[in-house]
Amino acid sequence: MALEKNLEQFDTDAILEVRNLKKSFPLKKTLTGKVTQELVAVDDVSFTLKRGETLGIVGESGCGKTTLGRTILKLHKSNGGQIIFDGKDITNLKSKDMREIRKKMQIIFQDPYSSLPPRSTVGGILSEPVEVHNIVPKSEIKSYVLDLMEKCGLRDYYYERYPHEFSGGQRQRICIARALSVNPELVICDEPVSALDVSIQAQIINLLKKLQQEMNLTYVFISHDLSVVKFISDKIGVMYLGSMVEFGTKEDIFSNPLHPYTQALFSAIPQPDPDVKMNRIILKGDIPSPANPPKGCRFHTRCPKAMDICKEEIPEYKDYGNGHCAACHLLG
Amino acid sequence: MSNNYLSGKEIRAIAKENKKVMKRLEAQKYRKCDESEYITEMKESSNILEIDELHTYFFTEQGVVKAVNGVSFDVPQNKTVGVVGESGCGKSVTSMSVMRLLQGPTGQIYSGEIRFKSKDKDGTEKVFDIAKMPMADIHKIRGNQIAMIFQEPMTSLNPVFTIGQQLDEVTFIHNPEASKEDAKAKSIEMLNLVGIAMPERVYNAFPHELSGGMRQRVMISMALASNPRLIIADEPTTALDVTIQAQILDLLRDLKTKIDGSIMLITHDLGIIAEMADYVIVMYAGRVIEKGTVDEIFHNPLHPYTIGLQKSKPTLNSDSETLFNIPGNVPNPINMPAYCYFKERCSKCTKKCSGEYPEMIQVSPTHFVACHLYDEE
Repeated sequence: MALEKNLEQFDTDAILEVRNLKKSFPLKKTLTGKVTQELVAVDDVSFTLKRGETLGIVGESGCGKTTLGRTILKLHKSNGGQIIFDGKDITNLKSKDMREIRKKMQIIFQDPYSSLPPRSTVGGILSEPVEVHNIVPKSEIKSYVLDLMEKCGLRDYYYERYPHEFSGGQRQRICIARALSVNPELVICDEPVSALDVSIQAQIINLLKKLQQEMNLTYVFISHDLSVVKFISDKIGVMYLGSMVEFGTKEDIFSNPLHPYTQALFSAIPQPDPDVKMNRIILKGDIPSPANPPKGCRFHTRCPKAMDICKEEIPEYKDYGNGHCAACHLLG
Repeated sequence: MSNNYLSGKEIRAIAKENKKVMKRLEAQKYRKCDESEYITEMKESSNILEIDELHTYFFTEQGVVKAVNGVSFDVPQNKTVGVVGESGCGKSVTSMSVMRLLQGPTGQIYSGEIRFKSKDKDGTEKVFDIAKMPMADIHKIRGNQIAMIFQEPMTSLNPVFTIGQQLDEVTFIHNPEASKEDAKAKSIEMLNLVGIAMPERVYNAFPHELSGGMRQRVMISMALASNPRLIIADEPTTALDVTIQAQILDLLRDLKTKIDGSIMLITHDLGIIAEMADYVIVMYAGRVIEKGTVDEIFHNPLHPYTIGLQKSKPTLNSDSETLFNIPGNVPNPINMPAYCYFKERCSKCTKKCSGEYPEMIQVSPTHFVACHLYDEE
């Protein structure tokens, strides 16, 4: 994937293309401001996402999945690579120009308890973005918001209520309604169901699926729960310590996981069936610190199939057919 | 969601009422009494723990929260009992009641029995009713014969002491004559047992130097240091990543055979239950709604809530388009209705459900369910 690939070659079906994206955070600086040590949270990540698809991003804590989501939205400034949204390179857009794009890309956060302003009513929370982005004329805002609330399964008398009066599931519905109030095309869902109970999780996932069909949305669904990701996604990206180790369609990834990390990750999930006895691959040790990642392949310290070459060389991220990419020396 | 706000007058009236009850229960907790007062008999000699009609209430200004409202189940010797339910269903409060760690004076065991078969150092077995034990005597059992592994390994360790100091303390408390060298040897042995690679280094490390999985291992080794007969693991892997979770579950399974004890495993993850437990208790809004062996619960679930819970969890093998979901929310714990708590969310609800709360019905020798659908008639 060369950076010099022109915008003309941009796939017209695609809504989002990320090329060699990199994001690092400075850890130590000299007096003159030169960065001497940095934490590479997202390292050389590339993928393409088509309109109406869902990309699931999985990985353990600290693997950079949230940072990736935020960098795509330009909530973090990237340190390299390109983000192409809707045929337009938005990597270096000024914040003023970015405002127009912002209404096309929205985010739903993990914790519905802390991401709603406690002092505004549900009506206020939902009508503010509509007002700011001039989605509908002022006189129609209320009916527009009520319509939106109905779509998201919120009753109309909630309009005057405050966030603290709601349970976790209801709050997440408010967050979803807020993200959708500006008619976005791309929604980044950053662990939207991890803070919820199982029975409520199912409600929210079904709602997200229903809204996707109704509004032709594209999702980037970030989660550590593989079973949820499998349920909702068309494509899946597996991340480990900042880099994408495997990417492909859901069918490819689940029926034929190539990377040893993906294989271990799948086998680690407890199955709710006492008869299933899995051949579990138990990884040794802990995830290395992202501030000081191992040399060579980042997974070699825990990999059950590690070879000598893994300690030296970073494996190349290659396509193994049908857009199924992986980075591992074992695959040759 | 509470749409009925209380006036100041009402709150004061509730507080006055609560104070009376709390004072009585607090006095009972700190009374001085003889051992004979709380010695009882086990109903089934193969059990190590029997919880019988336990009621644990929280006396708040908004009213009495019946967090545990008539829970009964047994933990047999050498078995793993899994307690599963959503947040707020009372599974953690049940374990806190067994450990007598409820925050007083608000949280109190209101009634019920918790029978535990304890074994002294000389090997004599006695059965204690933990619910009636005064706080002064509780140390005979807590941390010694029943140990607990908490959910948050990040916050359960003391940040200003080294792992070694905290581990040694366990030995000193339960065996005051032990020498420093003995305690250290024992601590390092424990760290080895839970699979920590460099026990000497970890012994001298502070909690912040360890990762989440390591800290949870330290917590487990701390629980094991006194050779407990029962380990209560309250969501031991919720804060951990899946690959680390697999390590910890593997360790727990391994340890159960090594220490010859029982485990009470509290979790909201049905997958972990299926993998670890021999018996399953399903709780909803402070009550046990179904209990049975792991095969019975997973292959023949009877209560609509258990069925719904299993269907609403996406699995790696399922291929359906939409997920089954249980409508509505968990009910407000204050002012619970007299009828079945699940009625509003239940799809199979009949006329009978508006009546009394359903009794526990025995379906097979080990399988019980509390639902009117299975009433005999």
